[in-house]
Amino acid sequence: MFIIIAGAGRLGILLAKKLKEDKHQVSIIDKSEIVCNKLAEELKGVLIIQGDATNPEVLKSAKVEKADVLVSTTSSDADNIIICNIAKEAFSIKRTVSRVNDPKHLLLYKHMGIDVPIDSTTILARIVEEEASFSDVMNLLSVKKGRLSIVRVDIPPNAPVVNKMLKDISLPPNSVLISILRGPEIIVPSGITKILSGDEIIAATIIDNEKQLIRSLIGRL
Amino acid sequence: MKYIVIVGCGKTGRELAREFSHQHNVVVIDKSKYALDALGEDFNGKKVLGDALDLKVLENAGAREADILVLATGNDNVNIVISKVAKKLYKNIKKIALQVYDTSKKKIFSEEGLIIVNKTYILVEVFKKCLL
Repeated sequence: MFIIIAGAGRLGILLAKKLKEDKHQVSIIDKSEIVCNKLAEELKGVLIIQGDATNPEVLKSAKVEKADVLVSTTSSDADNIIICNIAKEAFSIKRTVSRVNDPKHLLLYKHMGIDVPIDSTTILARIVEEEASFSDVMNLLSVKKGRLSIVRVDIPPNAPVVNKMLKDISLPPNSVLISILRGPEIIVPSGITKILSGDEIIAATIIDNEKQLIRSLIGRL
Repeated sequence: MKYIVIVGCGKTGRELAREFSHQHNVVVIDKSKYALDALGEDFNGKKVLGDALDLKVLENAGAREADILVLATGNDNVNIVISKVAKKLYKNIKKIALQVYDTSKKKIFSEEGLIIVNKTYILVEVFKKCLL
């Protein structure tokens, strides 16, 4: 694929490197001459363009019309929106992805038709919240816009499932235990697998039954 | 009497706000308290301190009731983004005017219903009138 990155900050540079490693064709645009000169030595095989990516002429010189994806990573939300908007409206780029700097600006991205606005602050806050809390339950992954979730549940000593075999535990519909992590061991459970205190259970469930699943495993929310 | 929202309280926004506020209902939004204070005694309207890229701030300033919206921040991209979203969301606004410095952007973002004010174009027109 041919990917254009606007903004060579930490995110832009890291992304360029990763995409290059995966054998994609990458161009990167940044306003600063100093940044671009430094990048020229650091990023071999990446086309570096110095200029303001909100200027259509600059996008044109990056051959934006040939790109499959445009990614905007500048620290200004107005700039990101304009860059993606010009790429879409004037150069018919199909997919625009952008970093959202201020979560309060997320609505603007949506109204201006940016395909994938990534609100890193909110994502990070959620991870920090999960890591910082002493909860026995952690959401590992959400699939299909959150309809299916993979969760990790730590089994406390007083949980109702302790010392019970899987076949004797009733789980809500559309939920399945994928594996049990017990110390260094990874167990793929069957009906006669016994759950022990201290086990970490990885389970998949549809979102509507998540609370029910947790309640049946640890007895509370 | 019209309800006018002005975003950006620099030189242009400030002059417009003062003048309009004698006869109209004016609200000025700016991120800087200092800029709003500079409106002085002569201004007879409402001041909103905040970031107009946050739609909540824009709506608190009355975007849903306004007749006219003026984008006069010194940043072309901010002016363009707010004007386009406001045009889409707030059908009550009859006129939207925005300042755009970059002439190449004036061309790309010209669309019906947006009045784009570009200094260079205005100067060229004035020179032509004076000289020819």
